Amino acid sequence: MKKIVALVLMACMVFALAACGDKDEAKNEGPFVVNACIASEPETIDPGLASSIDASTYTLHQFEGLMKYKMNGNTVDESGNVIDTEVVEGQAASYEVSDDLKTYTFKLRDDIFWSDGEPVKADDFVYSWQRLVDPKNAADYGYFLDGIVLNAAAIQAKEKKVTELGIKALDEKTLEITLESPCPYFLEICAFASLVPLRKDVIEEKGKNWTDPENIVVNGAYKLTEWVHDSCLKFAPNEKYYDVANLGPSEINFWLSKDQTAIISAYQTGEWDYVESFPTDMTATLQSSGDCFIDPYVGTYFLYINCDKVKDWRVRAAMALCVDRENLVTNATQAGEVPAKGLVAAGILDSKGEDFAANTPGIGAIYNQLQDKYPDYDLSSYEDCCELAKKLYKEAVDDGKWNPKTTLVYNFNTDDKHKAIAEACGQDWKTVLGLNITLANQEWNTYTAGLGEHTFGLARMGWIADYNDPITYLEIMATGNSYNYGLYTNKDLDKMINEAKAMPAGEDRDKKLHDAETAIFSEGGFPLIPLYYYTLPYCNKKIGNIGYTKMGYHFFQYAKPAK
Amino acid sequence: MFSYIVKRILAAIATVLLVMTITFFLMNAIPGSPFLTEKSTPQQIELANEKYGLNEPYIIQLKNYVVNYFKGDLGVSLKMQEGADVGTIIFGQNKFLISIKLGLLSLLTSIILGIPLGCYAAYHRGSWIDGLLRVITTVGVAVPTFVLAAVLLIVFAVKLGWLPTLSGSLDNPLAYIMPVISLAFYDICYIAKLTRTSMLDAINQDYIRTAKAKGVKNKWIVLKHALRNSLIPVVTFLGPLTAGIITGSFVVETTFSIPGLGKYFVESVLNRDYPIIMATTVLLASLVIFMNLVVDIVYKFIDPRITYTSKEA
Repeated sequence: MKKIVALVLMACMVFALAACGDKDEAKNEGPFVVNACIASEPETIDPGLASSIDASTYTLHQFEGLMKYKMNGNTVDESGNVIDTEVVEGQAASYEVSDDLKTYTFKLRDDIFWSDGEPVKADDFVYSWQRLVDPKNAADYGYFLDGIVLNAAAIQAKEKKVTELGIKALDEKTLEITLESPCPYFLEICAFASLVPLRKDVIEEKGKNWTDPENIVVNGAYKLTEWVHDSCLKFAPNEKYYDVANLGPSEINFWLSKDQTAIISAYQTGEWDYVESFPTDMTATLQSSGDCFIDPYVGTYFLYINCDKVKDWRVRAAMALCVDRENLVTNATQAGEVPAKGLVAAGILDSKGEDFAANTPGIGAIYNQLQDKYPDYDLSSYEDCCELAKKLYKEAVDDGKWNPKTTLVYNFNTDDKHKAIAEACGQDWKTVLGLNITLANQEWNTYTAGLGEHTFGLARMGWIADYNDPITYLEIMATGNSYNYGLYTNKDLDKMINEAKAMPAGEDRDKKLHDAETAIFSEGGFPLIPLYYYTLPYCNKKIGNIGYTKMGYHFFQYAKPAK
Repeated sequence: MFSYIVKRILAAIATVLLVMTITFFLMNAIPGSPFLTEKSTPQQIELANEKYGLNEPYIIQLKNYVVNYFKGDLGVSLKMQEGADVGTIIFGQNKFLISIKLGLLSLLTSIILGIPLGCYAAYHRGSWIDGLLRVITTVGVAVPTFVLAAVLLIVFAVKLGWLPTLSGSLDNPLAYIMPVISLAFYDICYIAKLTRTSMLDAINQDYIRTAKAKGVKNKWIVLKHALRNSLIPVVTFLGPLTAGIITGSFVVETTFSIPGLGKYFVESVLNRDYPIIMATTVLLASLVIFMNLVVDIVYKFIDPRITYTSKEA
């Protein structure tokens, strides 16, 4: 019996060793292949319907818009493997802007072709943009062009036909786009994943299966060759792409998983080269081993306060002041996040190309107006913030505007990180203000439904920018905005946002936007509590020359083995 | 027997229809929408509801679903693979096949190991082996699958490097080892405990004593007389177990990156992907009904005294 067991065990070991041997051999001698995991199965990879970062990443590997993200040579982190990008002409050879900054005329490149050999035409962009805003497609990003491209909002509201969208092909290679008003970030959104060109004939012929590997026709650097659902998306270079000669990997495999243990295990065994998800408590260990690096990521984590339930601004301000953000990022989140000083995320740029949040005058949007009003407190120190918080809270209680026995319900969707944050904040409010909080851990759908129904006292939110302009954050707080879940109203803020939307890029607009942000955190305000600016931790040792935008997209088209 | 099977099939169809109706109203009773995201606007949700016919009255939606179901159309996914045919997701992408392969192998492992271990423990009742098996089986039914799966992954894939981390579509025989152990371990232990208990019960029966008195060898007493009778409760457990093991592999599939159907049973509810909820629930109900039918038929072979109808009785 013992002999049989020993033989079986030996056979298993021989099989295992043989399998390991083959794998190593293939890796050393084979072509350069990238094995990355950035998310689980995407809901869709149809560029016109997708809205997630991962689906957009796949789109931007397969398709190219009028503009594109191009590496600019500046490294993003200390690994030296990730390179920053800037928006430059992609499928467009050149563009002209009218004097009123409302009409853009793009001339397409002559050497651009679809993967089936057909030339890319201006009509392909017209079709794609119209498809995005067409209400019958109910695209997640159907609203994306609202207020930017002429008639987009009216089309979404079914008040105008899709053909009335402000985009038209003047000829096969010339595209004219008319805007509602000048838009300083318009060229950037022309690189956005939802606005890549699409082939009408392919989509109409293949229907909902048009994104399958055997059907898809692309105009970007790589093309989907295999899709094992819930397992892997495999891409190979598109031989018709104008820059195919300079592409890097012979194959890019995006593995699909969301189990953090499985992901880090696959990374540690060398099966995957690049991963973006792993247990948070491993971050420090992985950093010290030179595997994990942290990139900036344009997003702000904040808490909505329901202004209908917490009517007095002093209570809201007190809650914003007494959260110990340093403690939060050090002990609760642990991924190198940066304590927030305002709503607009770090990495959002002003008209000079400088960081909007860093260039905020004073000590930060949250504190500036209070610092002016209460000069006896040094709001750059947490201790003084707590003292002022106590004072404001007491004033509200003494004035009979707030019942200190009130218990607020704090909604968050099920996640260990959100829970840790909620507990840390709750502890601060209890210790400093004596305020009681009930934590409501909810599954995603219940949580998001609660946001829309305004049933919460406090609710978490992570806002990732779609484009690099402060307005993407500030307009959330405008009266009646769909995302103004805390029901905040400030007519001055509404006016400033409307004015800024109609202004060309420049110092005046920057100032207007800074003023708008300050207005949110002024007397009568504080409808939300910014906690920290996001970061994007990842593990990678083997892959170099990875492109990156702070919007969270990593590009492997030009990747090389790391030095 | 034939008329019994026909009756059971008719009852099964009625049960499936009932399951469909109850599931439909239950899933619509919970708050949320498949189209809710942090950034979705009420207008977007309304447009999406319109696109997928979710703005129709519930009774119309249910009628459409049932009619389409019997035409073989399970609808399209609203969220998890937006726009894809649910039938294609379950059967066309081999998800059901992968889960079935994994589930049946685990089931087979559970039976092959669980029953003999239970018999052995009962036969050697009170010995140190019986004690050891009792400890192992008690631990086995207490350890959650996700813990066992994670431990196996870290030890045998990451630390020792003996087995692949990613089991994928189970094309490699080595890829089966950890998922099958993870999925089958609980059932091996449970079946072993169940077999041991019922075997002990059977061993103390008069007919066993009679067989012993007749001088039948112990081995034959166990295999021919005691085992057959002690299998009745085990077979009863195998019915729901078979359906559960095939459809309840969510944790194992996620941990070992296996693109099976397990995820769709769980996440369809979280995502409010109504057509997938309906399809997976009906599939599970059908499997349970089918396995119970099989179990009932198997009873007859194990114990000919069992009858199906009052007439036969």
